[in-house]
Amino acid sequence: MADDAERDVLIIGAGAAGGAMAWSLARRKVDVVCLEQGDWVDPALRPKNHLDWEVRARRYWSPSPNIRQWPSDYPVASEGEDPVSVFIYNAVGGSTIGYAGNFWRFTPSDFRVRSLDGAGVDWPIGYDDLAPFYTINEREMGVAGLAGDPWSPPREPLPLPPAPIGPHGKLMVDGCEKLGWDWWPTEQAITTIPYDGRPACDLKGYCPFGCPQGALATVDVTYWRKALRSARNGVDLRTNARVREITLHPDGRAKGALYYDTDGHVREVRAKVVVLAAGGLGTPRLLLHSTSQRHPDGLANSSGQVGKNLMVHVQTFVIGRFDDPVQDWRGTWGGAVSSRQFYETDPANDYLRGFVMSINPGWSPLNLALQVAPWGADHHQAMDNYLNHEAVLFCCGEDLPEERNRVELDWDNLDRFGMPGAKTWYAFDSNSKKLGKAMIGHGTELMGAAGASGIRDFGLSPALGWHLMGTARMGTDPAKSVIDADNRSHDVPNLFIADSSSLPTGGGVNPTSTIQAVALRCAERIWEMRSELG
Amino acid sequence: MAYDWRKEEYEVTRPGRTRIDYRLEIGRALVPIGVERGFAVLDPDRAELLRAWVSAIIPANGDRPAAGEVGAAEYIDAIVFLTPRLRGVLLDAIDMVERLAAERLARHFVGCSPPEHTTILEAFEANDPLDAFPMVRDLTYEAYYAHPRVLEILRRETGWHYEVAFSGSELEPFDEALLTRVRSVPPRYRNV
Repeated sequence: MADDAERDVLIIGAGAAGGAMAWSLARRKVDVVCLEQGDWVDPALRPKNHLDWEVRARRYWSPSPNIRQWPSDYPVASEGEDPVSVFIYNAVGGSTIGYAGNFWRFTPSDFRVRSLDGAGVDWPIGYDDLAPFYTINEREMGVAGLAGDPWSPPREPLPLPPAPIGPHGKLMVDGCEKLGWDWWPTEQAITTIPYDGRPACDLKGYCPFGCPQGALATVDVTYWRKALRSARNGVDLRTNARVREITLHPDGRAKGALYYDTDGHVREVRAKVVVLAAGGLGTPRLLLHSTSQRHPDGLANSSGQVGKNLMVHVQTFVIGRFDDPVQDWRGTWGGAVSSRQFYETDPANDYLRGFVMSINPGWSPLNLALQVAPWGADHHQAMDNYLNHEAVLFCCGEDLPEERNRVELDWDNLDRFGMPGAKTWYAFDSNSKKLGKAMIGHGTELMGAAGASGIRDFGLSPALGWHLMGTARMGTDPAKSVIDADNRSHDVPNLFIADSSSLPTGGGVNPTSTIQAVALRCAERIWEMRSELG
Repeated sequence: MAYDWRKEEYEVTRPGRTRIDYRLEIGRALVPIGVERGFAVLDPDRAELLRAWVSAIIPANGDRPAAGEVGAAEYIDAIVFLTPRLRGVLLDAIDMVERLAAERLARHFVGCSPPEHTTILEAFEANDPLDAFPMVRDLTYEAYYAHPRVLEILRRETGWHYEVAFSGSELEPFDEALLTRVRSVPPRYRNV
């Protein structure tokens, strides 16, 4: 059952964080094995390779594991006042295979929310600690954009020029200039020119539905491509490997993991260091399932914080309808132009923290019809009114950590191996509701200034579960956090957690860039501590 | 489900039957669109009614065909062929629509006029214990807006288009001169 050799590092999860870590460690000739419960995504199955891509996006490409039911998926139940509409992909590349490539750095204040605003928690590390890793990550992922945004500290130029902003971007620029709001071309993990063996984006749009040519920086085409060919034969990536539990030595150190292989047989991998990178749902699920006499409430959970403090961001869309065609099918979907005019806390507001707004082209026909077109005689008129006449403003704001928002094991719904599913419980707090109201208000104001003749929005609930964070957070106090500033468990000295669950607060922007910067920093710390870790 | 967000409440009101969430049920049921097919589940009478139903959901307009003309009824039949738990929902729904037509207009549904179709379907939609109406509506939209004939008409009439093999779009490169004002503003981030 057990592999013969003890490996240097075992990484559980091959997504945004796991891929970055594997690459970082492998290039230092560390012996890395990675267990991924999913498989490689067959390029032929990327929806956008097919004319019926919108239907495929509602079937096997659905971001809900309950709908698509891949063999790698586990059930996810959503409860609470604002149930989370979960967006996860269990595959090599993780949820990046269905993301849009919005690629933000957090701002310095995002790491000091408690000190500056008296709410949430501070990170045990700051912007300056992560800045070098942001830079490495932007180079490896291939990020397009311009340095110099007044809402960010000075930084190195980005490796790729910004994407064309298109007619929808120009509408937002016009609106911002009219209102005197700051704006900037959005940083996007999309190749605007050929880069690092990947072709340039051809602006087909609708990026989350499977980039046909690999211009979108999903982790399967960035880090994993390199990690598998690194020194020492590359990383040993094992797909279709469902980890059941993390095992321990008698002295309490992590020993490795038990997992079900492709045939459903249990196997064991041993390693000097174990890293969890299974995401905001998967990581607490596995920790809570790894119980023992020593850890009856789950591994690394002496604080009781595993699974708590789930953050998803306050997210919505504000959609403007314009009389002139907007060329909805053109351009990237990582937000051509963005504004952080309302990003920092303003004492004049009735809420803390802030949000970002990013413009995208309008919806495709089926999605649009399902949103706005009534059945019957008025159907075609509605489609003519909206199709190719809309610009979509994505709004993303900070929600602060709260213990009541959580992930638990769901013993009523088991996966195909008999393991419990995950259950989320979520409700926006009053700050998030006020922030969300202001976000929609300012988005509406912006669309109006841009010349929209009609404006609609998605509201705030159900909570869009695209960014699942905070469920095994880092901190200095072992009673209030799960891991320390190096992403190392307070309870298990050779166990690290380096994914979205480790983020103590989530900023007000898409988090992939920060998740990967944290993972790269964690990899470096593991390398620096290698003699201590055995 | 992609971005098809819609505010709707669903309740189970029919005793003795458990509501089946068709959104979950059809997750593994992918049926090619735009290919000729017959009916596998529905008998001819029910098939004819469903064709009239989907054509009332999306009627013809100018060059745009009715949903029944592009195989939406056959598509729905093929979906429930792959999802047996939904067959009863569809069969019951069709029978209820037919019963409504008989009760209100003393005619078969297929013999009613388009305005009468609308009246009957509105009545059914308002009292739909099995969640069948949104299922038929959503699947009709799928069959319609993924059909090559419809997409070609949309391209011609609205400008929107997506082609699998096309070589992409052209847009002007970003013009940095647009940033003149914003480049001159002082730092907006908070020093910590």
